[in-house]
Amino acid sequence: MSEAEDEKSDKNDLGSWLIAMGAPASITSMMPSEITGLDIAPLASMLGGVGIKGGMRGVEVEKKSADEIRWLPIIRC
Amino acid sequence: MSPNLRITCGVERQTGSDAVPGAIAQLGESLMQRFGFFYPTRVLLGGLNFSRDVYALLSQSGHIKYESVGQLAQALSDLDSIRIALGQIDSEEFAIWCGLGKSEARVHLLQLMSVIEQARIRAQGAELRLDFFEYRPSPRALFRSLAQLALVGVQCDVRQLQRVWPRSARTSLSAKWISKFQAIKVFSGRGDLVEIAPLQFVFTVKWKGVGNTDVAIGLIGNHVIIDVGGVRSFVELPAACSRMEPGSVRLAKNKFEINFVVKESEWPAS
Repeated sequence: MSEAEDEKSDKNDLGSWLIAMGAPASITSMMPSEITGLDIAPLASMLGGVGIKGGMRGVEVEKKSADEIRWLPIIRC
Repeated sequence: MSPNLRITCGVERQTGSDAVPGAIAQLGESLMQRFGFFYPTRVLLGGLNFSRDVYALLSQSGHIKYESVGQLAQALSDLDSIRIALGQIDSEEFAIWCGLGKSEARVHLLQLMSVIEQARIRAQGAELRLDFFEYRPSPRALFRSLAQLALVGVQCDVRQLQRVWPRSARTSLSAKWISKFQAIKVFSGRGDLVEIAPLQFVFTVKWKGVGNTDVAIGLIGNHVIIDVGGVRSFVELPAACSRMEPGSVRLAKNKFEINFVVKESEWPAS
């Protein structure tokens, strides 16, 4: 895989996700770029973070998002 | 108000339909119909892991059966998690996305959120019956499950529990356990933010007995998550907390307090 392709596969945009889900690669030219370029990483991270066990299949969230659960230290009194 | 739903816990599960409730299918279809080539409920919504336990709560059935109290508590917790996630999906970005695709997705999203809200109200007003015919948990395990159920807003009638508990001498329920079961209180789902010093606040959440549970407390977006063994309840934080830094949690027997310190850089000068 070339560096450019590798970079593309890391993207969390809707177009990449649809392709990962089995859509033909030509989907990106069939749909408006405003839609295929939509960043779904925050959504994927959120769905994985609030307790829904599966999250969204086929989507890897590469960096920590503000929408992840932040567990707090507990001091018992 | 008389309940229009009966939930029985502690019975063998009936084999039921895996049919997707209408509101969920409708949202999936409206989200994905433009793409045409894949089956939305199996991909997008399947990925959300709407379990059959959650489907049962969303159904119009007048009688739902769960294998255990813990399973009911988990289903309600999952339903709440989904409601929180859907609430966050309903953003400006999502509205624009729907507009671009001339999709009815937002309408169906709000419809699904409303269905979930109604299901929550139904479950909280339901007549809960316990049944130990197939399996009787230990009092300790049952206590934990009932505490989890109380965390998600459902109360168990201890008199009904006593009536159905096996009566043989070896398995009798001691007065100590009955008293413990009676002490379980439903969580209200609310908290209060109070200023304790300049730029320092404390968010107090009261729930009787919380200090005796193996609770974990976290934050996601504008909600506090209270997690007892994987069963979660969510408390909305005041908007001001988004400009504060959370500290540690002080956990007492009947309440916990989260310390917040104002991030001065994000606070408007007075």
